[in-house]
Parts: sequence; structure tokens; C-alpha cells
Amino acid sequence: MRLAAVILITAVLLLLACKADYDIEEVTPPEHTGTDHHDEHDECEHEHPEHVESSHEHETEAAEPASVHEESHEHDVLEMSGSHRHVHAAGEKNHGTGWFFNQPWAASFIWGKMLRDALILLVLSAVILFLSKYRRKRQ
Amino acid sequence: MKPVITFALMTLRNLLRRRTIWGICIVILIALFGIGQIPSYGVSNEGRFILDFGLFGLEIGALLLAIGLASNIYPRDREQKTVMPIIAVPLSRGQYLMGRFIGAAIVEAAAMIVGCIGLMVILLMNGHAVPADMFPATLLLLIEGWFLLAVVFFFSFWTSPPLNAPLTVLLFIVSQLSVSGFIKLFPQAPGLMRALRLLLPHMDVFHIKDPIAHGMNIPGLYFLLAIFYGLAYMAFMLSVALVVFRSRDLK
Repeated sequence: MRLAAVILITAVLLLLACKADYDIEEVTPPEHTGTDHHDEHDECEHEHPEHVESSHEHETEAAEPASVHEESHEHDVLEMSGSHRHVHAAGEKNHGTGWFFNQPWAASFIWGKMLRDALILLVLSAVILFLSKYRRKRQ
Repeated sequence: MKPVITFALMTLRNLLRRRTIWGICIVILIALFGIGQIPSYGVSNEGRFILDFGLFGLEIGALLLAIGLASNIYPRDREQKTVMPIIAVPLSRGQYLMGRFIGAAIVEAAAMIVGCIGLMVILLMNGHAVPADMFPATLLLLIEGWFLLAVVFFFSFWTSPPLNAPLTVLLFIVSQLSVSGFIKLFPQAPGLMRALRLLLPHMDVFHIKDPIAHGMNIPGLYFLLAIFYGLAYMAFMLSVALVVFRSRDLK
């Protein structure tokens, strides 16, 4: 009876484990790494690529309609310098620092899982020791 | 408990008599000294690099120490036939394992403290401030080292010493993988791979060099949780090792 209970508990724990081990990235809420703005921006670009391109063309035509070469050169310079990109303050959570704040020390929403994993492993080790002792007694 | 402590102190004395431990400690200190000598080429915040590489060096040192300390203990006891009289009368197999493990763990802790102090000295010599969380960071690496020590004991009960080291290194590398990376090793059975991944700790739990290098504060609760997490995995690996040891015929 006791052996059956032990096996049942172990099976339940392993079933839980099958579904429950995951990466921090899989469960990170967007507000944690501050990716809300970036995602919206990305979605906008993906949904309306022609809009972005046409507005860009429109801007360049208005600015320098005569010289296509100069426009492309200027565009390259802007790309290289990154001056058209937004800048975040140092130490701020944002899309660029997502990897940094997705480490366990910063992702407090993962701490419960750490505790659960540790408890599962402790129970498993107790079960293993119990089964080993039980087997030796039977022998 | 008293027989375990006595046997652990005996193990401690045996290990300190070996040249391996001193060799590994010297290699760690030389590596740390080498990290301190890398020129900064005018890059600001050079201290971050020293700290980052230094803590990485301590982690690799913990792995080497675990292999160097424990891979030979049981095979040597078996070869010299000292394990049989020990287990026959004064100690059970569990007490033997715990005694050997505690002795090796104390040596590893002492070596890691020496490494940590060495890294602090190198930081100070280069004119950088020593972060307040230096000792807690080393403590987490030590917990990782103790887990690896338990892994080495586990392998030593059923493999030869030459096979023990590569298997431990392999397990160390696999433990660094994320769950998605681990599933890619055998994508046909993601559920099984997720279950197997749970049996290995996420080593990034013990890595806090990035926030320390950038001067960020880490909650005290996290340290306690990470220590508990590491000790749970260590206990699991020791219990599996004990089961394997109990099933071994020593004749």
C-alpha cells in the first residue's frame, strides 16, 4: 500500500514536471522587460510596410527631389549612426536589455517555479531513498 | 552524525595531502592573475571585465575542483580495499558517502574562498572597487560546485575515473542549456525532454556576475532561494548516487 502511494506521488510529480519546466522567455510578461513599445512598433511595421515605405519616399522627395544618390547616401549615414532610433536611459528595462532582465535574479515571477522545482526534487530524492531502503529490506 | 563528521575530517586530511588540490588552486589563481593583466586599451569600466571573467574563472575552477577532488576517492578506496572494512563495521554506505562528500565539500569551499579573495586582490591592484555582493556571488558558485561534486560522486560509483570527467563536463554543459535548447537535442519528444530538463538545475540561477558587474542590487530573498534550489538538486543527486552505491557489489 505504501509502495503504491509512493509510486503514485512520483508519477504525479513527473507528470507535473512534464508540463512545467519552461524558459523564462516563455512566460515573461511584456511589462517586465518593457517590450510593449517595441512590439507595437514592430507590429505597425509588419502590418503596414507599404505605408512606411511610401511615407519615407514622400519625405525624401520633399526634402531632396533632385538627387537620388545623395538621398541614399544620407540614408546610409543615418542607418550607420543610428540617429533615427530611439534612445533609452542607462539601466532602463527595454527591448534591448530583455536578455539582461530575463535572468533569474531579475525575473521575480520565476522564483515560485524555482521553489517548486526544488521541492519536487526534494520529494523525489526522499522517494528514491525510501524505495531503495524498501528494496533492501525485501531482499 | 558523529561518525560522519569524524570520517569527513579524515577525508579532509586525506585530500589536503594530495597534490591535485594544490595544483588546481594554483591554476585558478594564475588564471585570475592573467585576467587582471589583460590591458584595457582605454576602455572604461575595465573592472567589469575583470569581474565577469574572474567569476567565470571561479565557476570553471569549481568544476575542475569537483572532478579533481571526487573522481578518484571511491575508485581508490575500492582498489586499495579500504572501503570494505569501513563499511563492514563502523559506517553504513550512506554515512560513507556523506563523510566523503562533506570532506570534499569543505576543501572545495576553502578553495573557492581563496579564489574569491584572490579576485578581490586583483580588482584592488588594478584600482577597481570590490562589489559588496562578491562573497554571495562566490557562495552561489560554490553551491553549483557542490552540485557538481555530487554528480562526480554519482558517476564515480558506476564509471571509471577517465570516463567520469567527460561525463561530468557534459552534464555541466547540458545544465547550461535553456529548456528550448535542451528540447532541440531530441525534438521528437518535447514532453520527455522537459521532464528530463527538470532533473538538471538551471545553472543561470547561480550566475549573478552581470548585475554585480553593473552595480545592481540583488534581493536577499533571491540568494536564499537560489541556495535552497542548489541544495535541493545536490540532495537529489546524492540520493541517486547512494542508490547506485547501495546496489554495488564490493567484493
